[in-house]
Amino acid sequence: MRGQDMTAPHDRPAADYRADADTLLVARPVAGGAPELFLALRADGGITAFNGHVDLGTGIRTALAQIVAEELSAPFERVTMVLGSTAATPNQGPTIASETIQVAAVPLRQAAATARAFLVDEAAQRLSCPPGALHLEDGVVRAAEGDNLFVTVGELIAGRAIRLALDPQAPLKPSAAYTLVGRAQPRSDISAKATGTFQYVHDVRVPGMVHGRVVRPPHAGFDLGPHVGASLISVDRASVADIAGLIDVVVIGDFVGVVATREENAVAAMRQLKVAWRTPPRIPDLNAPEAPLRDNPSTARVLADRGNVGRALDAAPGAMERTYVWPYQMHGSIGPSCAVAEWQDEGLTVWSGTQNPFPMRRDLSRLLDLPEERIVVERLEAAGCYGRNCADDVTADAALLSRAVGRPVRVQLTREQEHGWEPKGAAQVIDVRGALDAEGGPAAYDFETRYPSNLAPTLALVLTGKVPPVADVAQMGDRTAIPPYAISNLRVTVHDMPPIARASWFRGVSAMPNSFAHESFIDELASAAGVDPIEYRLRYLTDPRAIDLVRAVAERAKWQPHTGPFSHGQAGDILYGRGFAYAVYIHGTFPGTAAAWAAWVADVAVNKVTGEIALTRVICGQDTGQVVNPDGVRHQIHGNVIQSTSRVLKEEVRFSQTAVASLEWGAYPLITFPEVPDIDVLMIPRPDEPPLGAGESASVPSAAAIANAVFDATGIRFRELPLTPEKVRAALNPLTPPASAAQEEKKPARRGWAWPFAGVLCGALAAGAALLPWRAPIAPVSAMGGDVFSSAAIERGRLAAAAGACNVCHVGADGTAFAGGRPLETPFGTVYASNITPDRAAGIGSWSYRAFERAMRQGIRRDGRHLYPAHPYTSFAKADERDIQGLYAYLATQASSPVAAPETRLRFPFSLRPLMAGWNALFLSSAAAPADPARSAEWNRGAELVEGLGHCAACHSPRNALGAEKTGAAHLAGGFADGWHAPALSSASRAPVGWTETALYDYLRTGRSADHGAAAGPMAHVVESLGPLPDADIRAMATYLASLNTATPARDASAVIAASETAATRAAMAEPVGARLFEGACAACHGAGTRLPSLALNSNLHANQPTNVLAALRAGIAAPAGEPDETMAMPSFDASLDQRALGDLLRYLRARFAPERAPWQNLSDAIASARNAPGP
Amino acid sequence: MTASTILCVNGRHVTVEADSKTPLLYVLRNDLGLNGPKYGCGLGECGACAVLIGDRAARSCTVPIGAVKTRPITTLEGLGTERDPHPVQAAFIAHQAAQCGYCLNGMIIATVALLRANLHPAEAEIRQALRHHLCRCGTHIEILAAVRAAAAPADTGDRTRGDRTCGDRT
Ligand code: FES
Ligand code: FES
Repeated sequence: MRGQDMTAPHDRPAADYRADADTLLVARPVAGGAPELFLALRADGGITAFNGHVDLGTGIRTALAQIVAEELSAPFERVTMVLGSTAATPNQGPTIASETIQVAAVPLRQAAATARAFLVDEAAQRLSCPPGALHLEDGVVRAAEGDNLFVTVGELIAGRAIRLALDPQAPLKPSAAYTLVGRAQPRSDISAKATGTFQYVHDVRVPGMVHGRVVRPPHAGFDLGPHVGASLISVDRASVADIAGLIDVVVIGDFVGVVATREENAVAAMRQLKVAWRTPPRIPDLNAPEAPLRDNPSTARVLADRGNVGRALDAAPGAMERTYVWPYQMHGSIGPSCAVAEWQDEGLTVWSGTQNPFPMRRDLSRLLDLPEERIVVERLEAAGCYGRNCADDVTADAALLSRAVGRPVRVQLTREQEHGWEPKGAAQVIDVRGALDAEGGPAAYDFETRYPSNLAPTLALVLTGKVPPVADVAQMGDRTAIPPYAISNLRVTVHDMPPIARASWFRGVSAMPNSFAHESFIDELASAAGVDPIEYRLRYLTDPRAIDLVRAVAERAKWQPHTGPFSHGQAGDILYGRGFAYAVYIHGTFPGTAAAWAAWVADVAVNKVTGEIALTRVICGQDTGQVVNPDGVRHQIHGNVIQSTSRVLKEEVRFSQTAVASLEWGAYPLITFPEVPDIDVLMIPRPDEPPLGAGESASVPSAAAIANAVFDATGIRFRELPLTPEKVRAALNPLTPPASAAQEEKKPARRGWAWPFAGVLCGALAAGAALLPWRAPIAPVSAMGGDVFSSAAIERGRLAAAAGACNVCHVGADGTAFAGGRPLETPFGTVYASNITPDRAAGIGSWSYRAFERAMRQGIRRDGRHLYPAHPYTSFAKADERDIQGLYAYLATQASSPVAAPETRLRFPFSLRPLMAGWNALFLSSAAAPADPARSAEWNRGAELVEGLGHCAACHSPRNALGAEKTGAAHLAGGFADGWHAPALSSASRAPVGWTETALYDYLRTGRSADHGAAAGPMAHVVESLGPLPDADIRAMATYLASLNTATPARDASAVIAASETAATRAAMAEPVGARLFEGACAACHGAGTRLPSLALNSNLHANQPTNVLAALRAGIAAPAGEPDETMAMPSFDASLDQRALGDLLRYLRARFAPERAPWQNLSDAIASARNAPGP
Repeated sequence: MTASTILCVNGRHVTVEADSKTPLLYVLRNDLGLNGPKYGCGLGECGACAVLIGDRAARSCTVPIGAVKTRPITTLEGLGTERDPHPVQAAFIAHQAAQCGYCLNGMIIATVALLRANLHPAEAEIRQALRHHLCRCGTHIEILAAVRAAAAPADTGDRTRGDRTCGDRT
C-alpha cells in the first residue's frame, strides 16, 4: 500500500502564463526586466492571482483570494492564489505578517480593478452602451439584473491574449458594495489539513529522493566571531562505515552533513558520526541579559527629543527610574524546519518553507556560485513560525547535500537543532526615567531601549566561509518606541547594536518589549498620581481611534476605576487582580506604519504560596480598519493572545557558557491547554477605513497588561520576564530562604567497587594460581555434530539459551544470533563476548561437548585458556547437566558466523589470563543450586533457574575487589551491569513497594509490573530472552525470588503514590526548572493520569545512586516486550538535555518521587561520569 | 538489522523492509506515504506524530515498528477523507481549528482516543487529554471548541468509527 503519495509541486513559471492564449493578464512593468504578473483571467472563468508574500499559516491565502474575488465580483472558489514562488510571483520582499494585507495586497487589488475596468469598457463597446451603465458580476458584464443585454467575460477573453499594465489609478469598488470582504470566509486549507492531504514542505517527495541530516558545530545559536566556519578539527568517516544505505558524508568548511537512502539511517549516521570540533569561546551570560546588553557596543539613535527632558526631570521631585528586561525567546515552530533540493545540470530547484523566497534565491546563488536565473524556489507551507526560523538554513543545507550527491535530498532538522540554531527573538533592555508634574501628569519621559540586531545570515553561508561571520547592525529596535501619550518633555533613544545570540524578527519585534515598558510605566505614573489607570491614559491619549478603542474595551470589561492595587481582593492563598494595557504596533522603517490598534484587560489569579500566575480571562479589543475576513482576524487575535501569554509567563531561552541550552520543550515550555485563558474579542467596526495588519498587534499589549494585573493582585511591579513562579514567589516572600532540597551535601564518596590495590590482589591471585596446574587444551573435534542431536535435546537447549539469556551478551554487532563481539563494560576493562556459533575458526565449531561443558562450568576455553568471569560460569556450574547438553545441541544447530569477536584486553593485572586460575580457586564453588525438599517443586525449579542457568547473581550480586560475586548476605544484594545498577533482589531491596510473586511474574513475563515500572537496559533484553520459557518456569522464578526478600516494608503502592503527590508542590517550589523539564519532557508519558505506573514506584528513583535514571535518560528504554498494551519506547535524551538540565531534572525527580529519601549526593560528578561513558 | 515487518495500517496489512527499531513515524511517512503524522520532536513531547494503536493514541516517533506486532494502527488518513471526514475531523473543520495546522494531526488523534474512552468528557478532561499536545499558533480556543462540539451529548455521529482490525483485507 502507498497512501496519498505526494510529489513535489512545480509552480508554472510566469513566462508560461504570458504564452497562454485565451487569457487576460495584468502585470506591473519593471524597468529593465520582465513585468511582474499579478493576475491571470482565463476564458473558462478561472482566476489566478499572484502575491510575493507567503502564507505563514495564518490563512492569508484566503484573505487575499477574498480581496481578488471581491474586486472582480467573482465567486470566491474561482480564485487560486499563487504565493511566494520565485518562478511565478512578483518579488514583494520578505513576508512580515502585518504587511501582507496592508501593503502587499494593494497592487493585487489594483490589478483586479484594472481588469474590471478593461472588461467593462470592452463590453460597453460590444453592447454599444456607456460603460457607466454596466457592471461586472459573476463573470458577466450587463446593464441591470435580469437584463438580456450582456456579454460574458469568457466571450471577451476568448481567442485573445490581453496583456494589461497595472493601473494604480483604476477605480476600486466602494466598500459599501462589498459582499465578500468583511464576511467570514472558511479557510480553504483546513479540510485538507484535518484529513492529512495538505502538502507541507515536510511532505514533498521527489522521485529518487534520499535523506540528509546535518551535524552542527557545538556553538549552537551563535554565528558570529572568528571561530565560526573555523571550528572543525576532523570528521571520522569510518565511524559511520557500518550504516546501511549511507551515501555520503559531506564536509565543506564547518558544514557537515550525512546522506542515506532511508531517513532512519541518516539519523543513525548523524548520531554516530564522530566529529571533533574546537571548543567554542565563552559567551556572556545571556540568562541574565541585562548586563550583556548594556556591555554590547551600541550606537545611540535619538528618535524624538521634545521640550527639555533633563531639566524637567531635575525639576520634578521623586523622579522614577525603571528598567525593563525582556529575555531571548524562540519562534518555537512545532515542526522543525525541512527542505528538499534537487540539483540538476540545468540548475537547482528547492522546495522550501522560507518566508522570503527571493532573498533565499539570492543566498543560494551566493552559496553555490550559481546564477539566480538557474534557481527556482518553490515555497510550501511549513509549521507556523511567526518570524524567521531555520527554514532558510535547511534549504541551503539541502542544496549543498544535493549538489554533493547528485540526487534530490530531503533534509529534516532535529528538534534539538531547530531549538539550538533558530535565530532567536532578541532580548531587550529598556530604561525609563519619568516624573509627575504638579497636576499629576507626566512631567517628563526619557526612554532608552537596547535591541541587538536580528539579521542572522543563512547558516550555511557562514559555516562554509562564503560569507564572513561578522555582525551587521540593523535598526529594528524602534518599533512602537514612541509612547502614544502627549508628553511635552519627551526623549526617545534607541541603542542599535550588533547581535549577540543569533537572532531574527519575531512577532511584535521590539514593539512588544517597548510597549511592556511604556504601558507598565504609565500604569506606575497613574498609581503615583492616584488616578485610575485607564482614566489616566485617556487623559493623555490623543489619537481618536485609540481613545475609542480604550473606552470600548473598558466598557466591555466592566472596568471598575481604582487608584491603587488590591482592587480585586483575595480568597485563601489566591490573590486576584486586573490590569490594562494599550498599544498600536508600528512596523517598517522609522517612523513606520501603524498596524491595528489593540488593548487588553487581563484578569489574573496569583497563588501567593507557590507564586504561580493563572491568567484567567483576557478581553482584547482591536481596531483593524476594514476587516477582510472576520473569522480570520478573530482567530489571529486568539492566537496572539495565547502565544503572547505563553511568552510573558513562561518563555526564556536558557544558555550554557558556550551555546543555547534549551534544546527541547521541557527546557523551553510553551503554554498548555489547561493554562489557556478565556478570551473575549471585541472588534471595532471600521468598514470604510483601509485594512490594517492584524498578524501581530494583539500581542503587543500583553506583557504590560499581565504585569499590571499582577501588580493589582500583589502590589508588586514585575519588570523582568518571564513571570515564572519562582520570580513571583521570591518577590512576594523576600525573607523566605531558598528551599534547601537542592543543596547537595558535599561528601567525598567513591563508587564501592573502584579498583583498589592491584599489587596485593595480584599477589593473592598468583598465590591461587600456584596451587593449580595449567589446564590442558581439549582436542578439537571436526564438527559439533549438529545433525545427531534429538529434537528434544535441541528444544531443551533452546529454552536453556532463553533462560540463560545467552544472546543478550553474545549477539553479534549486526544482530546475528550468538555471533559475539559485544563489548561488556566491567570494572576491570572491556570484555568482548565470544562467538558461540558453530563456526570452526571464529566460533566453537571445533569444541567437543566436554570442552563446552568445561567452559560453561569452569570458565576454561577449549585451548586451556581461562575465560573472564564476565562469563557467568560460577552460576552455570549449578545448572542441570541436561540443560548444558541441550545448549550444546542447540548451539550446534545455529547458523555459523565467520566473524571473530575482538580480543579482550583488560588492564593489568587482569590482562594475565592465567591469574584467573587463582581466581577460580578462590571463588568458583562447586555447590549445586539451592534445593529444599521442604519447599514446593515450583520453588526448587525457580532456585535452579535463578541460581543456575539464569545467573541472576552475575548482575544482581555485588562483586568484590577481584570481580567475584559476593556471597552470603550480599548474594543478590544489588550489582552492576553494563553501566546500569542491577537492584537488589534480596532483603536489601530499595523498592518502595515490596516485590510480590505476582509483580515478579509480570515483570519477567511482560517487562513491566504495575507497581514497579518497566525493565530497562540489559534487563529489558533479559526479559525478551526469557520469552520462549513456559509460564510455569517464569512463575517458578518468581516464586523463588519472592522468597528471598522478606524485609521490604509492606507499603502499598497507593500510599507511595500519595506521598509523591503530596510532595509535588514542594518539589516544584524547590526545583522549578526541574519541574518544568519534567512537565515538558517526561509528563506526556509519566505524568498524572497517564497509563504508565507512577515513577514513585520505580526502584531506581529510590536507589542510592542515580545510575539507572541517568542511564535511562541517556540510552532510552526499549518498548516492553511482552506488554499487551504498550508500544512506545522511551527515547534517548542524550542530545537534548545537557549536564545542568540533567541535574535540575534529577533533583526534581528525587524530591518528587522519592520524597522520603535524601537528595542524591555529588550529582554533578555522577552526571559527568555518565556522560563521559561510551555512547548510548 | 533490516527485516520484513507486517503492520496493520488503516485496515490493511502492509509489509515494510526496515530495521525493527525504526520509528513507526518514518515508516508511515516514507514507506507508506501517510503524511498525517508529523515529525515534531522525536522525543514524545509534542504529540505531532500521534496515531491510534488500537483505541489509544501513541506517539509514533517513539514506537519502534518491531513493538507494534499485530495491533491495528490508524492514522489521520484512516479516520476519514475530505469528502467523508470522521466526525471529529468534521468538527475541527467546522470550527476552523487550525492556523498552520501542523499540530492538527495530534489534536484530532488525541480527541478520537479521548472520545473512545470517554464519550462525554468534561472541560477539564478535554484540557487534560490535550495537555501534552503543543500548538505554537495559539489555536487552542478553536481546538477546544471543536472538541467540545465533537463531544457534545447531542452529537450522534459515529465518533468511534474507524478500522480496528485488518481482517482479510490486504
Ligand atoms: S514528534 Fe512525536 S511527540 Fe513530538
Ligand atoms: S496550528 Fe500551528 S501549531 Fe497548532
